[in-house]
Amino acid sequence: MTRSVSGGQVPGSPHLGNAVRGLVRRGMEIYSDSPQASAWLRMNLARFDEPLRVAIAGKVKAGKSTLLNALVGEEIAPTDAGECTRVVTWYQDGPSPQVLLHPKGSPPHQLSIHRRDGALSFDLGGTPVERIERLTVDWPSQSLRGTTLIDTPGIDSLSTDVSARSHQFLAPEDTPTAADAVIYLMRHLHSGDVRFLESFHDQRVAKATAVNTIAVLSRADEIGVGRLDALISAKRIAGRYRTDDKLRELCQTVVAVAGLLAQTGRTLRQAEFTALTALATLPRSEMDALLLSADRFVKSDIAADSARLDSSVRAGLLDRFGLFGVRLGVTLIRQGVTEPAKLSSELVRRSGLDDLREVLAIQFTERRDLLKARSALLALDLVLRKEPRPASQPLAVELERTMSGAHEFAELRLLTALRSGAVKMSKDDRLEAERLLGGEGSAPAARLGLDPMSDPREVRDAAMAALNDWRRRAENPLANRQVADTARVVVRSCEGMLAGLPG
Amino acid sequence: MAVPEAVTLVDLALKATTAYQRPDLSARLRHTRDRLADPSVRVLVVGEFKQGKSQLVNALVNAPVCPVDDDIATAIPTVVRYAESPGVTLVREPQSDSGEPLPPQRSQAPIEQLAQYVSEAGNPGNRHQLSYAEVGLPRRLLESGLVLVDTPGVAGLGSSHGAATMGALPRADAVLLVSDAAQEYTAPELDFLAAARQLCPNVACVITKIDLYPQWRKIVELDRGHLQVAGESTRMFPVSSTLRLHALKTEDQALMEESGYVELIHYLQRDVLGHADDLDRRSVSQDVLAVAEQLATSMKSELAAQEQPERAAQLIAQLTESRRRADELRQRSARWQQTLNDGVQDLTSDIEYDLRDRLRGVSREAERVIEQSDPKNTWDQLANWLEQQVSQAVSQSSLWAIQRAQYLATQVAEHFSQNGAALLPQFDYGAQDFRSANLQAIERPELENVSLFSKLFTGIRGGYGGFVMGGMAMGLAGASMLNPVSAGAGLLFGGKTLHDELKRNKQRRQSEAKVAMRRHIDDVTFQTGKDSRDMLRQVQRNLRDHFTSIAEQMTTSLNDAVVSAQKAVQTDEASRGSRIRDLRAELERIEHLADRARALDSSTARFSAGLSMVGVGR
Repeated sequence: MTRSVSGGQVPGSPHLGNAVRGLVRRGMEIYSDSPQASAWLRMNLARFDEPLRVAIAGKVKAGKSTLLNALVGEEIAPTDAGECTRVVTWYQDGPSPQVLLHPKGSPPHQLSIHRRDGALSFDLGGTPVERIERLTVDWPSQSLRGTTLIDTPGIDSLSTDVSARSHQFLAPEDTPTAADAVIYLMRHLHSGDVRFLESFHDQRVAKATAVNTIAVLSRADEIGVGRLDALISAKRIAGRYRTDDKLRELCQTVVAVAGLLAQTGRTLRQAEFTALTALATLPRSEMDALLLSADRFVKSDIAADSARLDSSVRAGLLDRFGLFGVRLGVTLIRQGVTEPAKLSSELVRRSGLDDLREVLAIQFTERRDLLKARSALLALDLVLRKEPRPASQPLAVELERTMSGAHEFAELRLLTALRSGAVKMSKDDRLEAERLLGGEGSAPAARLGLDPMSDPREVRDAAMAALNDWRRRAENPLANRQVADTARVVVRSCEGMLAGLPG
Repeated sequence: MAVPEAVTLVDLALKATTAYQRPDLSARLRHTRDRLADPSVRVLVVGEFKQGKSQLVNALVNAPVCPVDDDIATAIPTVVRYAESPGVTLVREPQSDSGEPLPPQRSQAPIEQLAQYVSEAGNPGNRHQLSYAEVGLPRRLLESGLVLVDTPGVAGLGSSHGAATMGALPRADAVLLVSDAAQEYTAPELDFLAAARQLCPNVACVITKIDLYPQWRKIVELDRGHLQVAGESTRMFPVSSTLRLHALKTEDQALMEESGYVELIHYLQRDVLGHADDLDRRSVSQDVLAVAEQLATSMKSELAAQEQPERAAQLIAQLTESRRRADELRQRSARWQQTLNDGVQDLTSDIEYDLRDRLRGVSREAERVIEQSDPKNTWDQLANWLEQQVSQAVSQSSLWAIQRAQYLATQVAEHFSQNGAALLPQFDYGAQDFRSANLQAIERPELENVSLFSKLFTGIRGGYGGFVMGGMAMGLAGASMLNPVSAGAGLLFGGKTLHDELKRNKQRRQSEAKVAMRRHIDDVTFQTGKDSRDMLRQVQRNLRDHFTSIAEQMTTSLNDAVVSAQKAVQTDEASRGSRIRDLRAELERIEHLADRARALDSSTARFSAGLSMVGVGR
């Protein structure tokens, strides 16, 4: 997530950020006599400078906490076979480890932290979950510096109030959400998933857009029932989901990730590597018999004799890797991986975590200011609608102008329209327009479909060509209005790119 | 043939009814025999996407019949049944334009091409318009009539796929709910389970892929807890298809034990097949006993009159009175008829109200959604959502209708029994030695031990009465649950025009969307309302015919009894002795038949267990 991104910023972003900050400050002046409204706006102004808040949502047991651990690179979110996360938990960077419990309507208090085998756990101290608003976990971590991760209870959970808390948090009825962006995990495409994504959409700025949502096909290693080519299958399925019209309307993209593999890869221990290496020395037939089932792997006597691996060690391996992970790890070692670091990076690479991080960098980190501005405008909009005053009238006009006028928002709206198929144009044209509008990353090279390391001259020429091309379409008298409108916004994006390029 | 001794018994009874010239009773027995001739026991394999349903079927029959894929695989149901040689039949069940079912079209296909037709990859969106594919396999497991039905994955009870699966439930003898060991049950799965248990007597849960998940024991434990909380007592089978297939290949007995399939197959053979056989035995036993009782009535009354001519007048008066009452039962004014007519009328209006009420709720919700958004952007989602809501409302309403109809049937049966069960008179045969000649049981058939309801309706799959009940549930669940699915196409068509023509203003779009939505709900209300009225009328007709024919059989028997008693009075002393001997011999033959029927019933291993399982609607 902290990956620095080469290439230019979103054109005009700082400008938009300042304009939005100005709007929120003016709102605070107007509502200075209303403690509730001004506190709300102050909080949202402060939020502007905080790290981006990314919520991890999805159905029960989709692997949310595991993915969070994989992204952070440490086992800080507790995971379990049963339903585990019952309270919304924020993981943020902090100078020292600390867990705060925020009960509803009373000040937070600190919880004690236990750490066993590197895994974090905390005791709610008897506070009933329905009385808890959220937990915040401060943890010194490079990965959390730019992004605060929010773990949420699963949707469609059996205890209906766990589901209710999740919906309430991610798609509250009348307030902007506390998260700037969402990673939505799904095991397979359930009808419940689509409805959930729909409910996440707010009504104003990014109306019905999927701009702040990325879908992850999680537990990807289980898709092929533990076969070694499982992840290839998972990627193929994610590819199919990406082209699914319905999903394109709901999220930016779909990535397949094997969360457990990623988590273990990032936290691989020397002892585990040694154990896997010992397993890899077994003759092929013995190993196949051993890896036939999870029960056999733990109970079998073969491994105890030949590889001198204790049953508890094997159970531990299975816990951390899963049967697929053990199979993959052993195969990799047999193929010549001899160092823990190499195995670790290979596991992470195969898990799809790298793909996810790249997508997060493009979709969320690069767009941080835009997403923040959007959250702040939503917050201001709420105040203006809830407590309209004569003095706030000009501000409402200004807000409306920013929403409809700022090119960044226009890009977002058009992207959504294109993705939803509302604009009738040929597929190639549509894909090119989406790319130029920043659908695959807002850096000029990404918009132009060029290599990120391309020569600035080349970038400039390509941008120029795109500008001329789309200008012609905008001015074509035969084009219908929708296409002409689309072309005009694309032209504006090209101009913005050219203005930001050196030379 | 599932239960050969049952078939032999029915044939024997048929001979008797032919000999005694009772074509009405022969018709009843022939019906029972027809039911017996189809030994198939349908086991429905259901569950959400990607839980390993197809692989379960493959592992059960040890053949890759159902295509398995990492992505969504099964597009249409696959029916696997016994055949001498492997083969595939593709079945299309077309509908006429007005929605009436047309006769099915069947075509053969080579078994290796099966995947082309049943998989999502080979037959995307079921473009071949197939209803299901039938695979015949020479397997011992299937030989006794077991039929496995692999269904496409269900995404919750609300979806149209889910409704279609629900519609198939009343026709199933057992249901296997498949869920993998990756996670505990979700709310939709438990909802589905609860509904399935209402419609099918035999539901079991299978937890698959236990080879892959070290924590599977914990998941099974959690699931068991969920079932307990929901008040369900359902058998659970943790299995691994991978291990089973591997064990079959390597002939590894220990591995086979580990796969969990031994218990599952045992369950299918003993409980599911056994249960179906028990039902067959019991229903045949009861049908034959009832027939024997009817046949004996006339002979027994003559015997009584022959033995005690001085009391013949009294006997004839008693029989005439019984005949009058039996005759009354046939009349439209009989109390059970009134209960039935009033009940069906109430039921029709209740169900119509219930459906309207549910759909009105959906309509209101949809209006609210339309008002909050621009239909231009949300129409497709809305149409989809609406379809789900509507099919959920309709299936819930149908479920309720089935339960109510079953309850009504019990009530009618109770009324009938109050007036009817005691109609066949008790006979007083003076001679003591006669009682010891194992004939006593026929005076008072032991059927009273079994509740009248199960006497008349021996479960979905049972004999004559069961057929009425099964047909009813099938009709109700089938037609009205499946229809909204086809009605959904009309809605989508409506949505197209909305997309293309109305681009001008939002309010106009909103009001157009509301009109389209209301029209759709109206259509569904009308269509479903008509379906359920038709179905209830069918139920009414079936129940009336069923009870009337029983009343008619009784009248005929009693009529014969009066005539033979009158004849007996006129018999002269000389021939009386030989006539009594003849009658006793005849009665002994009938009693022998009844004895065999009773023996068949008592060979039912878990009689009371079977009874509680078929206790429909209680």
